[in-house]
Amino acid sequence: MAAPGQLSVPDQIRQLEGARKLVLGDVSYYPQVIQATLPIIGPAAQVEFRRWGADFLSEAFATPAVTLSQKETLSLLVLETLMLLVQDPKQDPMVLRSVIQTAASIYPLAIRWTSADTRPNTRINNPYDTAAWDHMSAIKSRILRLWDTSPVTVRICCVKFAQRVVLAQMPSVNTEPRKNDPLDISLALIPSSHSALDKHSLEAEASGLLDRMLGVLQDSSSEVLIVDATLNALSVLIRARPAASNRILNAIFSFNPFKLASAPLTPKTKVIVRSMEKTTRMLLAHLARRDPRNPHAPRIQQYLERLMASKAEVLDGASRKRAHGDSASGIEVKRQRIGHAQPTFQISPLGAGPHSLADVFALTQNAGLRTFDVSQVPASLAAKISVNTIARIDTSILDRAIEGVRDRLAYLHEAARQAPSPETTALDVEEDDDYEPYEPAYGPAENDEQILNKLDSEPSSQSREQQRPAVLSSLGLPTFKLPPPQPLNPNQVIKVGQGTVARVFGIMSSLGDPANRRAKVGMNRLAASSSDRDAWITIIARLATRSSAGLNEVSLKDEDDSSPVGGMHLGNSIRESLYTYVLEDFRKRIDVAVSWLSEEWYNDKVQQKSASDAGSTPLHYEKWALRLLDSFLPYLHAQDKVLTRFLSEIPEINAALLSRVKTLCRDPSMITLALTSLLYLVIMRPPVREIALDTMQNIWLEYEEARPSAARHLAKWRPAFLEAQKQLSEGSGQMDMSATAAAVST
Amino acid sequence: MDAINGIDAATASQPPAQNGVEGVGSSGYKLKFCTVCASNQNRSMEAHLQLSKAKYPVISFGTGSLVRLPGPSITQPNVYQFNKTSYDSMWKELKEKDEDLYTRNGLLKMIDRNRGVKWGPERWQDWQIGIPRLEHATDRGSEGIEGGVADIVFTCEERCWDAVIDDLHNRGTPLNKPVHVINVDIKDNHEEASIGGQGILDLANSLNKAAQEEREAVGAMSFDTGSAAGRASFDERVPDIIGEWQGRWPNLPATWTLAWF
Repeated sequence: MAAPGQLSVPDQIRQLEGARKLVLGDVSYYPQVIQATLPIIGPAAQVEFRRWGADFLSEAFATPAVTLSQKETLSLLVLETLMLLVQDPKQDPMVLRSVIQTAASIYPLAIRWTSADTRPNTRINNPYDTAAWDHMSAIKSRILRLWDTSPVTVRICCVKFAQRVVLAQMPSVNTEPRKNDPLDISLALIPSSHSALDKHSLEAEASGLLDRMLGVLQDSSSEVLIVDATLNALSVLIRARPAASNRILNAIFSFNPFKLASAPLTPKTKVIVRSMEKTTRMLLAHLARRDPRNPHAPRIQQYLERLMASKAEVLDGASRKRAHGDSASGIEVKRQRIGHAQPTFQISPLGAGPHSLADVFALTQNAGLRTFDVSQVPASLAAKISVNTIARIDTSILDRAIEGVRDRLAYLHEAARQAPSPETTALDVEEDDDYEPYEPAYGPAENDEQILNKLDSEPSSQSREQQRPAVLSSLGLPTFKLPPPQPLNPNQVIKVGQGTVARVFGIMSSLGDPANRRAKVGMNRLAASSSDRDAWITIIARLATRSSAGLNEVSLKDEDDSSPVGGMHLGNSIRESLYTYVLEDFRKRIDVAVSWLSEEWYNDKVQQKSASDAGSTPLHYEKWALRLLDSFLPYLHAQDKVLTRFLSEIPEINAALLSRVKTLCRDPSMITLALTSLLYLVIMRPPVREIALDTMQNIWLEYEEARPSAARHLAKWRPAFLEAQKQLSEGSGQMDMSATAAAVST
Repeated sequence: MDAINGIDAATASQPPAQNGVEGVGSSGYKLKFCTVCASNQNRSMEAHLQLSKAKYPVISFGTGSLVRLPGPSITQPNVYQFNKTSYDSMWKELKEKDEDLYTRNGLLKMIDRNRGVKWGPERWQDWQIGIPRLEHATDRGSEGIEGGVADIVFTCEERCWDAVIDDLHNRGTPLNKPVHVINVDIKDNHEEASIGGQGILDLANSLNKAAQEEREAVGAMSFDTGSAAGRASFDERVPDIIGEWQGRWPNLPATWTLAWF
């Protein structure tokens, strides 16, 4: 070391690097190495050595590997050298940079060390202390002068130095300073009665330096390096020095990072404007995120929104402005826009790369609008705006927009169909971290359940994922499952069932009667194969008879009481409807009645067959046949053929049914109808011939007026009966007379 | 570690890439670089490799909370801890899991490359800036960055840039050392990472050239009298250099700021 001149500069630097490696490996060597190198790197040394030395010192005082108290001790070794280096008016800028950085690291240590040294004895016994503080003060005043005159690259370091001074000379937010945090060295450490450090003047100095720092934001400075360096140094001041935060935030709020944007945008100015805008935004976003409840949060939010808006204006507006020329009048501009709106409306196709769902539907190029979070607009307002817009929009523009989006989706499908190449497969797996609270992320809007659904419905999810366009898979259009409906209670079931049935009857009524009966297709005919009235009748009848057959037996039995308290059985309610439907126009709808009753009869037989205990099976045929007959009998007139037809076509006839027919004869005009119907049965339905004749006999017996007609038929079919009646009547005539005589006699 | 060292030695013996490495000799001044992406796997590692092949001091990090790699489906990523899992063990694990799949999507090739560069992915937020990194001597590009501080940070995605800046705000700038943080937007796939790595190397070359020129301008600059502005410093030239570079690489949008460690 004694004879550095003997070695070449690079060789000596290599030696110095060796010493540096030593301390990097073990920081306890710092005192020796610094002491050994100080003579080599001093103010008189060659610039290469000064640069290396200043760099080395800045590293030594920056590294967290060395404790604060170690740095304190080291600082006493280097302050004089630093002072001499910084005071050289012809000093190399790079040396200055490193020296100022070193000074910035040492300054808070000097404050702490000086302020802690309050014992009068130590001060007297250690006059070097005063010298150290004097050196530090000299360095400070030199740096603050360099701040005005030096090149930008040095000035940014002056800004940082000033930041450390402000930090050290303003009261901290922490009342209990953390001992080993260099950022927590503050005015709180300085006793108010300190002999060398005057608390008030130090605070005043800090306040002045802060104003000077912020000046770059208030002037229309275009020095991007200074602006960035300042903004990026402010966060800790705002957070940890309450006395400074208000002033700093006000300065930021009045700062316009776009002031350069009015100048023609060269590649360099673009970089600069973007840099200042993003740096400002990041600082405020950081503050908002770090302490969302801070009292400035709403203003920060406001400023950020304004920033986004003007960014959009600057970046989009620049080209638009040029297109419109220099028309100053707003009205003119408006008129122009209306005139040109249509031809200039363009939907740019999607570029390469992954797209979000929002990208696919975003038709505007305006970056501000694109990032606007629509979900913040209340739904009612959004609806109003949408309706108004849709009502007014030019159809051709709407068509073009739809076409554009359709093309984009087609493009995405096309792009997805191409085989994925490992070279272009996206590797960015969606993350859960939240670094960008102010830039809405369009991640997959799926909840776990939907994802599970998707997985369920996609057994080979991997190959499917690859086939689908990335944007569509991120869209996540999985199977959507409605929540299961509330189970209906029995009353609701009945009600809804009736509603359905009523609708079917409505259809039947509207279909009306078939104008002309189609030829019967015989045995091959399938029930309900056409959608005419017959088909519906079949459906309805079977719905009534078979749908619930075998169920609800008990309630069906109760039905006979016609007191449906707990709710009517669905089948019976359909039967009621059919019954009403037939009666509404029974002459025309007798065929409906016949097919219905046929279904009932068939069902009864099947039920009886399958039921183990025949007695328990509820039977419907007879009941409903009787009801129908009872209901339309009063409305028959003498010429009606409907009764004859009804009796001849229904599947089963019994004495009870025929006894109803018999009652027709109470009306003398109906006697012929009743007897003709019965005669038809006697002739055409041999199985019921006997009960029909029995009924005829009963008519003969019960209705005097019917005797002549009935006797005519009976004479042919039951001559024995008439013969017997003749004898009887002769006998009874005697008896009558004798009875009369007896009565008279009594 | 033996295997890693073996690979490291093998790849280190290859000649440095020829693309755009202009005059970065062994003796000239070199800026110290740091590359950052989300998982410290693809983009930052590609750039790390390219910069180290060009003999620049370089380290790399990821800003994500975890290392995430694609898995068999979009909902089943392979997730690892930063600083705790080596590239080598990831490579072995994925090869074991589904060699065909991870060969097809290029993961094995990528991780194989990474284990030839350094031990494992490191997280930006856990990086102790300014703590010496002597124990990383076997990492590619470790030479010259033993002090654990970089001059330039390249991020490969806007949100990584945001994460880096936010983290620097959080740290409170204790080191008083300026750092240029530059985002170069690169899509996260192998092809784009390779192109992006070339773009970053080109930018690094331009920046380093300016820094060398500043160094060579030895001698007094009489700025103190206010008479001469002198030639523009490296710092001042950075926006110019990025603007010019952007013209050469229009598909890699860049964002820049001057921040503090």
